[in-house]
Amino acid sequence: MNLLFAAEEAEEGGSGLVSPVIGVMLWTLIVFGITLIVLWKVAFPRIAEALDKRQRMIEESIDTAEKTKREADELLREYRERLSDARGQADDIVARARRTADAHEQESQAEARTKREEMMDQTRRDIEAETRRAIQQIRSEVADLTVLATEKVTRKSLDSSDQKRLVDEALAELDFAALANEERR
Amino acid sequence: MSQSRKILLGAGGAYLLLVVLAFILFGSAGRQDFVPQEEFELPTWIELGPLDINKAVLYLLISGILTCVTMVYIAKRMEAKPNRIQTAVEVLYGVMRDNITRGNMNDKMAAKWFPFIGALFLFIWFNNLIGFIPLPTGHHHFTVLGLEIPTFGIYAATANVSVPLVLSLLVFFSYTFEGIRAKGVGGYLKSLIPAGVTGAMAGFIFVLELLSNIMRIVSLSVRLFANMLAGHLIILFMAGGLAILLGIAGIGVFLLPIGIALYLFEVGLVATLQAFIFATLSAIYIGGAVAESH
Repeated sequence: MNLLFAAEEAEEGGSGLVSPVIGVMLWTLIVFGITLIVLWKVAFPRIAEALDKRQRMIEESIDTAEKTKREADELLREYRERLSDARGQADDIVARARRTADAHEQESQAEARTKREEMMDQTRRDIEAETRRAIQQIRSEVADLTVLATEKVTRKSLDSSDQKRLVDEALAELDFAALANEERR
Repeated sequence: MSQSRKILLGAGGAYLLLVVLAFILFGSAGRQDFVPQEEFELPTWIELGPLDINKAVLYLLISGILTCVTMVYIAKRMEAKPNRIQTAVEVLYGVMRDNITRGNMNDKMAAKWFPFIGALFLFIWFNNLIGFIPLPTGHHHFTVLGLEIPTFGIYAATANVSVPLVLSLLVFFSYTFEGIRAKGVGGYLKSLIPAGVTGAMAGFIFVLELLSNIMRIVSLSVRLFANMLAGHLIILFMAGGLAILLGIAGIGVFLLPIGIALYLFEVGLVATLQAFIFATLSAIYIGGAVAESH
């Protein structure tokens, strides 16, 4: 009750609660005006400036970072290219060396084979010559022995023409070639 | 039962016991002579003709000075690498500039009107917040060591209709001025009629729109003033006013925690929210006045 009554009284009395008070309104205008000017001319520009500066700084650092990254990427790409080039070259070198070595090996093998065959041929020829000479020697020795044996059997010396004829006859019947073949085996 | 629950239950029990004890001991302490609106009365302290100093003027001056000093102090100490307070201020600045101002008008207008909108927001916000700090400005006095000290009370300049009214009028004149400058007097008045309305209806709508424009002054100021006044009144009642009015001391003990909760609600949310709403609506009105279609 008291409250209701008081409220009515307040409305009538104009305690400044609901009805405007000119003095307070003027003061509001003055104080707000000064506040507005101070904020507008002093505080806000500085804050805005600081924020703008920071933003510029951030943008610049982002730009720089991006540039650096691009450069680094470029470098990396270049290095990778070089590396793969080098690797290719190394592979080439190794392959070439291998080919050369193979060729060398085959060449020397072929050479050795040829030399060996030559030597074998030579040896074979030497052996044949030696064999022929031996057969010739045996033949002449057999002839002499035959003459001697014939002399001993007939008790007379054979004249040279007889000898010759006899030996040739005897030798013609003997096959010395077989002997030569046996020796070679 | 967990430890915290035990503590909670103990506190609740003690609180109930206290309420009961207060009812028994001081149950009918009798009504005191207390008039709540006295807390909001503005007796003249210093006579200065039309510029009389009273409680509202004191609060206005305190918050005006604090707004300027705080913002200038922060602005002078802006650093490239912000600390926590600077970060908070920058977020606040960003909200004022980008959300409240740029969000409601074109960039050219925003650059021009941001100082006004920002100052409105900060000025109202500081006024609202200062209003919740108890200062020795009360109607009654108490004596400590022979000194007669006014009772501490909470009051806000924005809880007085005069202050929001002046700010609302400033906003009204600002957007009307901008509208007329952008479109001319005739063009601006014509732009009040929504596009597509013609004939006799247009006249009726025009009158309505004109009225609604003037009502903006009332709605803008009353929204702020009534919110702040209601907040202060309810805190006042919860913090003992009701106990004195009804003459039931026990109810005071019962209501005090609710008062504290409401106080935190008012300080933490309402004070900021009302400043934000006032500034945002101002920006919308100014932006709308120059916009092509209404």
